Amino acid sequence: MIDTAETIYVPFGGLILAAGLLLPIIVIIIRRSLKAARDRKAGHHHRHEHDWSVPVLDACSNLDSVFHRWDPRLKIFSLLVYCFLVAALTQIIWAFCALIFSLAAVKLAKIPFRNTKRRLMAMVGFLGMFLVIMPLTVPTQPGDLLLFFQPVPVPFNVRGFLLAILIILKAFAIALIMEPLLNTAPLPVTIQALRHLRIPDMICQMILLSHRYIFVFLNEANRMYTGMRVRGFRQKTNLATLHTMGNFLGMLFVSSFERTQRVYDAMLSRGYNGTFPVYTNFSARPKDWLFGIFWILLGTGLLFLDRTGTFIIW
Amino acid sequence: MHDLATDAELPKEGQHLFQLRSLSFNYADGHCALQDIDLDINTGDKVALVGQNGAGKTTLVKHLNGIYTNQTGSLLYKGQSIQDDNLIRARRQVGILFQDPDDHLFNNTIYEDVAFGPMNQGLARDVVDERVRKALERVGLDNLMFKAPHNLSYGQKKRAAFAAIMAMEPEVLILDEPTANLDSKQEQIFAQLLQDFGGTLICISHDLLFLYGLCSRAVVLDHGRIHHDYSLNELVSHRASLREHGLDFTFRFIDCCHSSESHDHSESHDHGESHEHSETHDHLTLSQSDKQTAVRILSPPMEGVPGEKSQVIRLDNYSFQYKDGTWGFKDINMTVNEGEKIAFVGENGAGKSTLAGCILGIKQGAGKYYFKNNLITHSGREKLWRQIGMVFQDSSDQLFCPSCEEEVAFGPKQMGLSPLELEKRVTEALALVKLSGFEKRVPMNLSGGERRRLAIAAVLSMHPQVLILDEPTANLDPRNEELLLHILHNLPVTQILISHDMFFVNNSSHRTVVMHQGSILSDLPTSDFFEDEHLVGHQLDYAYKNICGREIMKMQEAVENGG
Repeated sequence: MIDTAETIYVPFGGLILAAGLLLPIIVIIIRRSLKAARDRKAGHHHRHEHDWSVPVLDACSNLDSVFHRWDPRLKIFSLLVYCFLVAALTQIIWAFCALIFSLAAVKLAKIPFRNTKRRLMAMVGFLGMFLVIMPLTVPTQPGDLLLFFQPVPVPFNVRGFLLAILIILKAFAIALIMEPLLNTAPLPVTIQALRHLRIPDMICQMILLSHRYIFVFLNEANRMYTGMRVRGFRQKTNLATLHTMGNFLGMLFVSSFERTQRVYDAMLSRGYNGTFPVYTNFSARPKDWLFGIFWILLGTGLLFLDRTGTFIIW
Repeated sequence: MHDLATDAELPKEGQHLFQLRSLSFNYADGHCALQDIDLDINTGDKVALVGQNGAGKTTLVKHLNGIYTNQTGSLLYKGQSIQDDNLIRARRQVGILFQDPDDHLFNNTIYEDVAFGPMNQGLARDVVDERVRKALERVGLDNLMFKAPHNLSYGQKKRAAFAAIMAMEPEVLILDEPTANLDSKQEQIFAQLLQDFGGTLICISHDLLFLYGLCSRAVVLDHGRIHHDYSLNELVSHRASLREHGLDFTFRFIDCCHSSESHDHSESHDHGESHEHSETHDHLTLSQSDKQTAVRILSPPMEGVPGEKSQVIRLDNYSFQYKDGTWGFKDINMTVNEGEKIAFVGENGAGKSTLAGCILGIKQGAGKYYFKNNLITHSGREKLWRQIGMVFQDSSDQLFCPSCEEEVAFGPKQMGLSPLELEKRVTEALALVKLSGFEKRVPMNLSGGERRRLAIAAVLSMHPQVLILDEPTANLDPRNEELLLHILHNLPVTQILISHDMFFVNNSSHRTVVMHQGSILSDLPTSDFFEDEHLVGHQLDYAYKNICGREIMKMQEAVENGG
């Protein structure tokens, strides 16, 4: 197989050049670290005061935009279909277009980019690994371009690198579209729309309660971890740390289980009989349908161009 | 959906609202929580359900709402067994407020949480809306109704949970430790709300002074059995009986009625009344003189205030700001001397716990912090855990090991002590908090009081120079509270106490620092603090409880003298 792949030996300087391409990322990381250090010095932040907060899903639901006014059922259905169509793209150029459309949707929904950036940053660490691992591990196929950065003996497969970029673009495009999907209506309304779309009631309730109690559980975890730290616990790479973290997670599980039982008791005591009572009524207007059709056509168009278009980069 | 919301029928003449006969309940692990309970509760009763931690109080009230079904014996609500339609009726008419408000607030906004009950009652949308707004207005949260619960303070959450119950307009209201962890202002709001409630009230609390102003009947549970069912007056006036059931809170009032000053004052307040008091004790209105002098009935503050000793902690212009820009506290200047026992008091959110967090080193503020005359830098903060220990408000936050022995040994182990020294310290610390023999017990299975003491032992085993205690008496029954007081009295370390419990503060601190909105309002010897006539202004008015306490002490004296 590898015999039919094109191989280029890049001199040592090439390795330096490749490292140079990563320079902007390194600069960003250093700047963030310096800023954090300055904050620490000014007492605004604490190294061990982890940011346990989770972005609230529907923080922007009180704004007004075309997405906010859109019937939630049609919004969920059409944007989810759009997401599946984007996931099926195979060419970088169309995945990039999908990312642009997602950014436009976020802008149109008037969602502050700060929130969006926070979600994307949470994905960067995981997706960034693809850029490193895939070029080195993807099986070599005929026609692949292999780069050997001397003196490193492992080939860098350019197809793997581009595949990683494609995955990242699609992941970002889909993650971004989740903002107008989930952040433009109160969560209970979104959940009720899911019920209208025949999602089982049990799943809907689980989503609703998970969103509420994730804050409570994280708060409990934070307090317990602080309790460990003030008695001298510092994470190390050893068995004692594993033992302690095992106890910590076990206790967290037990306390979460107890909490779940207490919440259920409190719900029962207020007349809960297995279903969340709701009053919201939905009514789809013609323009809601049109907007839904637009997004589905947009996704279909991207997929069509992806499959038949000539913008093949690799 | 069954529409039973408005067809509530009162029990027939001679019929009890609740009738329990030979009710017993065992948990899945075999623990017997209730045994042969015979109890009748009538419409309009105001019942104080009291007993030590683990006596079965919460288990009992969970039966009254149908959360637990009776395993043996019978339980009738309005003459019918709590099942089928009557179960639905009971759940809609009997409101329970559990201890932890987070258990009640499971929706995404306060509005939805308060609406949850009325919606389950099958009420029309506009009626639900009206009830929600009314209930939130009554508890003073109408301006926060569309906030997420996790954005509220503890006191606000507690009131929101109360509104969620009251919006259902229950006929029976059951409260489980309604005032635990609340400051005096929030406690007074609760007391007022409950006094306005006209239905049947069942209240679980260790705070007999709070119950005294609210209830007329006392049911005492002990190891799952009813030991007494009589008037609250009878309960509180028999000190021996209180002591027998671990409910004697009078250790807080040592010498109180022997002070001539307070006695004179009591005389003037007594107006020659007998010790009988009305159903809701509403004659306990406060005069200005009461507010200013009632605290004097308390035991004298701790003696033996250390003289000029070396400074342990010094804060110069120290401030802490949260990430969202709000100030935890600002420009704090204070010192703590070796051996001193200091109390931080103030309303919820005043900045007490945040300040303690900075002293402990888990938070870093701006300004200068000296520990034993050494400026604490970032790296110094990392080592403070060796010198300062803290017992958190909720002991569960601190206990994560599978046995008490491991729990107490955890801190010393992090210090790198030898196994021999570890064993010695564990034994010592457990003995100090009266938990010898508990080495192999599972911390999660201990009672609330035992867990609190274990948390203290886990810190004491590290031999800290400063011990910080955050709300050490919250949810403790009087017996455990007295024991805790005794333990703290004998500890030869510098202590910083954060508490809303003025009686505890009075008995266990040399100096009291009043905090309000992130600033220190006053820093006085505890005796002077209780003379301060600005207590009311600082929302630290405990005069009402003092008056209740004084009345109770007089009743006890009368009983002891055979009167």
